[in-house]
Amino acid sequence: MISINNLSKSYGSLKAVDNLNLTINKGEIFGLLGPNGAGKSTTIQILSSLQSFDNGEVFINNKCLKKNYADCKKIIGVVPQEISLYEDLSAYDNLLFWGGINGVSKSELKKRIESILKLIGLSNRKSDLIKTYSGGMKRRINIAAALLHNPQILFMDEPTTGVDPQSRNKIFDIIETLNKQGITIVYTTHYMEEVERLCNTIAIIDSGKIIAEGTKEELQKKCNLTETVLLEVQDISQEKIDQLQQLTNLQITSTAKKIMIECVSHKDLQIILNHCSELDISIKNIEIQKSNLESIFLQLTGKQLRD
Amino acid sequence: MIHLILKKDLKLFFSNKKSVTLTFLIPIILISLFAFSFGGTKKSNKIKKIELLYIDNDLSTLSKSIINELNEVKELQLTLQNKIEAEKSLKTGKKIGFLEIQNGFQDSINKGSTLPIALKYDSSKPFEYGILTSIVTGKLMNTLAPEIQKIKTKKFLDQSLIQMAQSQKNKIVEEISKSNEDNNTSNKWSLKTVPIIKEQSKKGNLGLIQAVAGTAIMMLLFSISGVGGGLLEEKESGTLKRLMYAPIRPTNIIMGKMAATFLISLLQLSIMFVFSWLVFDLPIFTDIPSLIALTICVAFAVSSFGMFLVAIAKTRQQLQNLSTIIILVMSAIGGSMVPIFIMPSIMQKMAVISLNYWGIQGYYDIFWRGLSFSEIIPKMLILCFIGLIMISISIPLFKKNIKTFTN
Repeated sequence: MISINNLSKSYGSLKAVDNLNLTINKGEIFGLLGPNGAGKSTTIQILSSLQSFDNGEVFINNKCLKKNYADCKKIIGVVPQEISLYEDLSAYDNLLFWGGINGVSKSELKKRIESILKLIGLSNRKSDLIKTYSGGMKRRINIAAALLHNPQILFMDEPTTGVDPQSRNKIFDIIETLNKQGITIVYTTHYMEEVERLCNTIAIIDSGKIIAEGTKEELQKKCNLTETVLLEVQDISQEKIDQLQQLTNLQITSTAKKIMIECVSHKDLQIILNHCSELDISIKNIEIQKSNLESIFLQLTGKQLRD
Repeated sequence: MIHLILKKDLKLFFSNKKSVTLTFLIPIILISLFAFSFGGTKKSNKIKKIELLYIDNDLSTLSKSIINELNEVKELQLTLQNKIEAEKSLKTGKKIGFLEIQNGFQDSINKGSTLPIALKYDSSKPFEYGILTSIVTGKLMNTLAPEIQKIKTKKFLDQSLIQMAQSQKNKIVEEISKSNEDNNTSNKWSLKTVPIIKEQSKKGNLGLIQAVAGTAIMMLLFSISGVGGGLLEEKESGTLKRLMYAPIRPTNIIMGKMAATFLISLLQLSIMFVFSWLVFDLPIFTDIPSLIALTICVAFAVSSFGMFLVAIAKTRQQLQNLSTIIILVMSAIGGSMVPIFIMPSIMQKMAVISLNYWGIQGYYDIFWRGLSFSEIIPKMLILCFIGLIMISISIPLFKKNIKTFTN
């Protein structure tokens, strides 16, 4: 559906997008994960024809974006990072305006607005001014405004910025519903838990370059990541910790009441528990910390995702 | 697409009470203040008289005749006042002038000595003093000239024709005086003033026209730069970027904004004129086609100018600072604050570069000079030309801004 080949964009000496190659298939939720300034928004702006690019080519539905940007715009919906709505207009008036601007006829628009308001759960608040809405509700209208012209592809640029967990979950539900309706979604974020929950395919971007791409499992495999077993124990001596390390042959760090053991798989857990029993270590609680995209990002770039 | 932006902007404008107040209420208050200052109320439409205090200690035929002459001047209002009170009124600025005719006034004329008459004045009011001096001097000369002529003739006869009988001399003097009166030279030789502009039955008060036209255009510039600032607000809030994601051309966005500011300008000017008609009796029905056409041209020029300011400013703060300076300078030289005719000639020449000048002069043409539609067309064309220039500069600037703001 979207094919990006050797795409580059610079602002002076800064390379915002550096030789980017991506393929986004129809019907998938594609996550573009990276810290602030990684080039996610620039990529979205290029794909939605807001920005020009220096090199490379982009095809949307096999059409060259540069030559057919007007046609491409018609099948694209963009949810910007900012809440781009008119605060002094009602939600209904905002949707009426944004639908009209995207070329939807008035009679069709009214039906679309009703169905989208129902989807986002704000039908009963449609006449209220946007400025009276909560942050989460504004975010939902911000999404709705991009859906009125029935786009085939939806670019969502950090659509959950600054919303509470409850609203975030509601937005995730909306995204999943839209995807089930057949909309291809390109989702940018720097929250790894969002891409972990939503996306089929993930591309990790840093300094304008794609540094890894694949499903979450593929990325984990690629990075050969471990899990951490966290044991909460009664007071334990250094001697017992040393003995445990010798027996398990695993990397152990500890405090007076906690032992953190890095292991490769769940099989190691049984061995650890057996040895703890042998050494008479009393365990109060066990926690397994799985590797996540944050740790993958850390391993790949040496930086925290929120840097 | 243009109509959607226009409709949305009008909705946003009318939903913002602050904008509506600034656009309509503040100009109405200012117009009222200026109109009152210029004496433009319905009740005070007549020319305000200059009050002249006087005292006649001579009480001679001649001094009484001078007072009577002055009483007939419509621009003056004479009030008898004793010297102490009159001087006190001048010192406190309550009155402008005091004419004191001292005892022995007529005798001094007969003797040919210095006249015991004085016009005392408040030097802080040079404009009114100038008018007062010219009126009093003129009337004084009119009244005294025949008397002085009579005395001079008599003196000449006494010196040149010593042997002539006194009765004969008196007869000659009387005959000359009578002949002068018959010829009524003062009337024949007086300057005849002919108004070039049409004498209309409901011609506007000059001060009122200045107050309404000057203030309306200045305030229109302020409010339109504020309304146009909505574009920068859209830039800051991200809605402009969202507009650019949609299949719409930047030119359509600016044209939509321009249409909204134009309609608001028209509405503001219309309300100002209707208000001035209702409250101050401004004769807006004198020439309706000219008034409508000129108002459309002014609204076009002002809204284009507003868009120009928006196109050159990068932020709302920058727009506010920039528009305040430019509009105040343009209004000052263009005659919105002070009437052009009292400005120095260099300022009057500079005024033509101001948009305000052409608008105000156009309204003068309609309400004061009573010019025909075709005679006002050149001013309308100049306003349209200014508008077109502003728009043709604004559109490329705006497009350039759009390219850079996403970076």
